[in-house]
Amino acid sequence: MAQPFPYTYYSCDCYDSNTTAASAKRASQQPPPADDEDERTFDPRNLRSNYSLYPLEHLLYCEDCQQIRCPRCVIEETLAWFCPACLFEVPSSVIKSDGNRCTRNCYNCPVCTSTMTVNSLDDPDDPSSSGGPYILSCSYCHWSSHEIGIEFEKHTGITSQLSRIANGGRPVPTQKERDKERERRKDADARKRDGRDVLSGSDDSPTTDRERDDTPPSHEDLFSNLAAFYKAQINAQSPTPFSQHDVSFSSPASYARIMNLYSTSSAKKQKREKPSPMRESSSVLEGLTVFDPATDAAAIERIKKEGWSSTLSPAQKLAQVNPNIRFESELRPTASLLCTKRGKRCRSCRHILAKPEAKITSTRYKIKLLALNHIPRLSLRALPIPSTSQPAAAGASSSATTPAFNYNALKSGIPTHFLLHLSNPLFDPIRVTLATSSTTPGKVQSRVTILCPQFEVGANTDVWDDALTSSLSPVKRAPALNADGQIEAGKIWNHGRNWTSVVIEVVPGFLKPIVGFSLGEDGKKEDEELDEDEDVLEIPIFVRIEFEADVNAEDRGLGDSRGAKEGARERREEAFWTVVGVGRVAPM
Amino acid sequence: MSAQPATPRAAPADRRTSTIQKRSSLLPRPASIVLDDTVLIAQHAQLTGSFPITAGPNTVLHPHSKISSALAPVVLGEGTIVYERAKVGVGSGAGDGRIESQEGGVGGGRGEGTVLGRYVVVETNAIVEAAEVGEGSVVEVGALVGRGCVVGKFCTITASTVLFPNTRIPDYTVVFAGSEHRIDKTMRDRDEARMLKIGMHRKQLEMFKKLVPNNAAKWRVG
Repeated sequence: MAQPFPYTYYSCDCYDSNTTAASAKRASQQPPPADDEDERTFDPRNLRSNYSLYPLEHLLYCEDCQQIRCPRCVIEETLAWFCPACLFEVPSSVIKSDGNRCTRNCYNCPVCTSTMTVNSLDDPDDPSSSGGPYILSCSYCHWSSHEIGIEFEKHTGITSQLSRIANGGRPVPTQKERDKERERRKDADARKRDGRDVLSGSDDSPTTDRERDDTPPSHEDLFSNLAAFYKAQINAQSPTPFSQHDVSFSSPASYARIMNLYSTSSAKKQKREKPSPMRESSSVLEGLTVFDPATDAAAIERIKKEGWSSTLSPAQKLAQVNPNIRFESELRPTASLLCTKRGKRCRSCRHILAKPEAKITSTRYKIKLLALNHIPRLSLRALPIPSTSQPAAAGASSSATTPAFNYNALKSGIPTHFLLHLSNPLFDPIRVTLATSSTTPGKVQSRVTILCPQFEVGANTDVWDDALTSSLSPVKRAPALNADGQIEAGKIWNHGRNWTSVVIEVVPGFLKPIVGFSLGEDGKKEDEELDEDEDVLEIPIFVRIEFEADVNAEDRGLGDSRGAKEGARERREEAFWTVVGVGRVAPM
Repeated sequence: MSAQPATPRAAPADRRTSTIQKRSSLLPRPASIVLDDTVLIAQHAQLTGSFPITAGPNTVLHPHSKISSALAPVVLGEGTIVYERAKVGVGSGAGDGRIESQEGGVGGGRGEGTVLGRYVVVETNAIVEAAEVGEGSVVEVGALVGRGCVVGKFCTITASTVLFPNTRIPDYTVVFAGSEHRIDKTMRDRDEARMLKIGMHRKQLEMFKKLVPNNAAKWRVG
């Protein structure tokens, strides 16, 4: 999550904070920083903390648990499936049976994966009645099903037409035809083996069998052969018709034997033989893929002849149904993968946090519990200090004299002031307490002081409400400078209707330890090289807010048991860690 | 604006300084513009440069298209369409023309001049400095065809593609995804595909004639 400086990340409570990495890594360093009430400080340099820090916009909020929920603390559940090309919703029952691809006319180009359209290759001078042969064509890379020799008679029902045609226009046999063909071949092989006599003539027609044997079986043929073989094996294992349904086939042979022992009656004793164990396929008709070096040689010759451009890239191969193809002419259009609409639930209490509308094309959400609406937003910016030495009569405002603050080049050792701005999204005023350790964890130690750790932020009322109930005292807009021009501690800098800003003073640390400057280390030589991003100045700030909220009348049944009346206020507090990224310390 | 730099490059000696009429445009007029009678030039189209510009029948130049013959003559074939803010002509690319010319023609590059074949479409914001673009080709939105390129017929240069100078693109090629090339076999093998494309193109030309007001008269006189 690389963001430009300055940024604010919020830590979700799912962070497992059993380690105190800063003190464990550097025993030689100064004593562990001052702890907050929970006896631990959040270390943004810890490798684990990277997984719990998120910008405020990424977080949801569970109202039942009254806690932030990060993307790791939510459970997603799919509400609807739809095809991104035709935007047709597919019910979940169809998903279970037909799979997660579109079964209508939506196909992706095998070369460039963009959506394909059905176009007509009609002769404009001699239009045919049905609209001419149709082809699937890609509007981006101009691939079309003509390149694999497939043309369709009608422009609907592409899926069924495609399943019947193989590349090159050859028809694909249906399941029944395959079964019949397989049976026929098995009988022919069996007969050949039984009655093998060199001198006698064969009964079958040798010519038709031989020419069919030349073409290697296709991927679908092998799959159907293998599936039929395994079905036959399973059927052979089961002793009775009933056990097919409730037997698990992890050890079919032993189970079958035991069942035989106990279930067969005496009349069938002679049939009690040990069933043969399940075997693997042993011939092409049973689905065995036989390696033939001739196919490899043929592939090499083909590459020599057609060139590298006719072969497929790994990405194209992986998207195909048959991953063993090599050449462009073997490509098939892939059906579009379906997309989902998902809702999010809290992992602990199963409360719905985000639920989109059921309509596929609308992007709105019916329920949307965002952390933005429950957690105050912290943001940091540099505070331009009006220098008291320059005469005010120069006419130049302080912002004009200083160039734009460079967050990537903080000066070590020089106290720099930043303005921390908190805005309150709740409808009640909150009291905020900030806490941070006096030095930032990590190699580069910077000293941080929050000049006003406790303050109040107003409620997020409407603008008109605010104007109508006009404030009793005039809103003090002047910054909290005392007579010397020094920034006063204990006072907020500025505030508005629902926001407050306070000053933080940061003294960025030194990237390399200064010789002779004691930082509490013993004399051992530290590695001078800083790791990547060690010069980033990040301040972990612990934020605690207290406010009084109305008891929620929708609390399921709890409202009555507490005996609370409507309109009663309950005191609530929330606390979380944030990491404010200030900038990079410039090398001196 | 790319037409403006044409001024310092044009050699003043070549231009005929006929000032019979006061021109409303401040841009230099090409020395000779040969327009067919059926050419459609919209308002705000610019034809600049000192070399001759020739436009075949039924050519359509949309508003704010820029044909620049500052460095070499330009020929637009029959039925060519140049969409808005497209630039045709050597030197139209972002000032690189002069740098490239010093490298000399390498490989399939060709000499000076831009020739667009019949029914070529140059879409919005495209820049065509090519030596030749074959019949029926489409240069899609925002593409940049460098100087000296030779593009075959019925090619497609997809959107935002950059073709470096002196590239040779064979017929029926599609250039997509940055640098991928493939031959559009459907267009190559099937006559109907080509005829359908040209038929659609002709219908587009008719529609433009009905919708776009013709300002070609401004460029015919003088």
